[in-house]
Amino acid sequence: MVKIFIDEKSFEVEDGITVFKAAKEAGIAIPHLCYHDAFPPEGSCRMCLVEIEGLPKLELACSTQVRDGMKVFTKSERVVEARKGVLEFLLAEHPLDCPICDKAGDCKLQDYYETYGLFESQFREVKEKREKKAKIGKNLIHDEERCIICKRCVRFLKEVTHTQELGIFERGIHTSVNIYELLPVDNNYSGNLAQICPVGAITDTDFRFKTRSWLLKKGKSICPLCSRGCNISIEYHPGFPHFQVPKKVFRIYSLENPDVNGFWICDLGRYGYSYIDENRLDRIMIKKEEQKIEPTWEQSLQFIAEKIKGLNFLKKTSQIALVLNTWLSNEELFLIHKIFKSDLNVESIFFADRPQSEGDDILLTPERSPNRRGAQEMGLSIQPVKLETLATKTRLLLVFGSSIQDQFSSSDIKKVLDKIETKILFASHSNDLISFFDIVLPTALIAEKGGSLTNVEGRIQKFSPVFEPSGDSLPEWMMLADLGREFGINPSFYEQLKTPEAISIETEKEIPFFREKK
Amino acid sequence: MSPEFSEKIQKKIKEIVARYPQKEAAILPVLHVAQQEFGYISSEEEKQVAGILGVKPIRVREVVTFYTMLNREPVGKYHVQVCSNLSCSLLGAEKLIDYLKQKLGVEPGKTTKDKKFTLSLVECLGACEQAPCMMVNFEYYGNLDKKKIDKILDDLK
Repeated sequence: MVKIFIDEKSFEVEDGITVFKAAKEAGIAIPHLCYHDAFPPEGSCRMCLVEIEGLPKLELACSTQVRDGMKVFTKSERVVEARKGVLEFLLAEHPLDCPICDKAGDCKLQDYYETYGLFESQFREVKEKREKKAKIGKNLIHDEERCIICKRCVRFLKEVTHTQELGIFERGIHTSVNIYELLPVDNNYSGNLAQICPVGAITDTDFRFKTRSWLLKKGKSICPLCSRGCNISIEYHPGFPHFQVPKKVFRIYSLENPDVNGFWICDLGRYGYSYIDENRLDRIMIKKEEQKIEPTWEQSLQFIAEKIKGLNFLKKTSQIALVLNTWLSNEELFLIHKIFKSDLNVESIFFADRPQSEGDDILLTPERSPNRRGAQEMGLSIQPVKLETLATKTRLLLVFGSSIQDQFSSSDIKKVLDKIETKILFASHSNDLISFFDIVLPTALIAEKGGSLTNVEGRIQKFSPVFEPSGDSLPEWMMLADLGREFGINPSFYEQLKTPEAISIETEKEIPFFREKK
Repeated sequence: MSPEFSEKIQKKIKEIVARYPQKEAAILPVLHVAQQEFGYISSEEEKQVAGILGVKPIRVREVVTFYTMLNREPVGKYHVQVCSNLSCSLLGAEKLIDYLKQKLGVEPGKTTKDKKFTLSLVECLGACEQAPCMMVNFEYYGNLDKKKIDKILDDLK
């Protein structure tokens, strides 16, 4: 450890780290454009200049190492003047098209200009005209005029994906970032480029011109599209309830988590968000024959509880079958385990998930669901569902999720379901299956509920709701806790499970894996 | 398409590569070898150099487009590079450039029809003490005037 002074306050910092990192740890933000925590210092933007006592020139905070007793000034007059100069040069060739730039609102150049800018331009020369909308990848548009040559994109493709599609060509005023001979940026992480571009040089066609960043609300969540559990920020427009304009997700950004996803997410997770808003099942659906009950949560869950109670009374719980999925949270899987395995000794517990697909050696795993590991650690064996088995002796079937339709044709599923007396579907989306079930209960998505997931490496990550569940839908844990209380083997136990945290505490008590990982 | 690198060249390149801890560091010296061999570096040569070094062609192009001494198109037998930077301009380089344009009958960046001369404007040649100056292939010529230019070009013909 060494002692350094930043802006006349003393800090104990680790030896060998850079002034930039030391300042960051001390909560002092140093402006920067090219520097990114994921890469070694580049030192090309010159925004992070700081004054160091005893040194004649200003130094770069991003690449200067701390020394014992070093006195750093990040806000002195010299520093502010120098930053103004740097910004003036950057803006000499930067177009003033913030009003039509997607980055406006979260553009670092714009922010720093607000803080340090010389608002009267001294440049009378005409700006260079350059390519403003070169398509450099499936979702990527490059604007050469806006580019400040920070090389973040080039370094990302060199150091993270190793695909090296972008390079820096020419020099001086003609320097530009470009692809090589029309070979586009083509990898499963390309969306990160638009996110790490500190200005609006690389924009994303998925987001381009659709909304303004300052209109969006943000919420932390976990990407459920593979079993890595990448930390994400869901950015959405809250909608205008008064005019019946619903909320809408506009983009997914990655959040930093060195233990899970570093700084990045894959394109599958970034662009695969339409499921959150589209085709959602918003109401409880009751089949005609069951019209004696009303489509309310109370009556629907009571109906299911009565069925379970009846079969339990007759000692025929072997006639209950469940089809689960690994989009269910640890808490939900625990409740299912508790109710159906421990309380009722149900043996027919199967899983139906989206089929596995290709993974890669960066983040993407072959699984297309977030909590397979959680289900395994819960002691549920992940047996794939077989239609014949379901057809033989089942009288009450509870299906969570709609992935059985990925594996069997609708007509085959219908044939089997027709033989089963009572069948209940818990589903988040409207689909062909709905008409085959007696009761369909709308469920909340990961983004709409709280709980935890266990990723492929066995790391348990908590998540909280980003927004309210769509329509009448509810989180499965809530329904399961209600069911547990209703059918009455141990009502007081389920009575207290009013939050995912409360369920989590019980999980930790009963399942060693979750206790040890805590 | 240009001819493949000869065995002799390949051997020379291998010797160069062995001198550097990182392959990318060898790009520049290897490009010089390639330019000596072929006279210029087109995208074919870029790919061949990249192939030999085991780097992506884009890394080679970055270097080729950065350094003006590497020609991306064929040049004449004599590559006349005239300084257009400050010291030379103060001492009349502009007039000499006009004279060269007229004498060779080509604009900067172009090659004469007989493929003998290519005229290029370059930034500082690092020889301000003999401004105005120019370079013909790797020879320096300083303290230029029209007469001197006539003599230099005539001698080359």
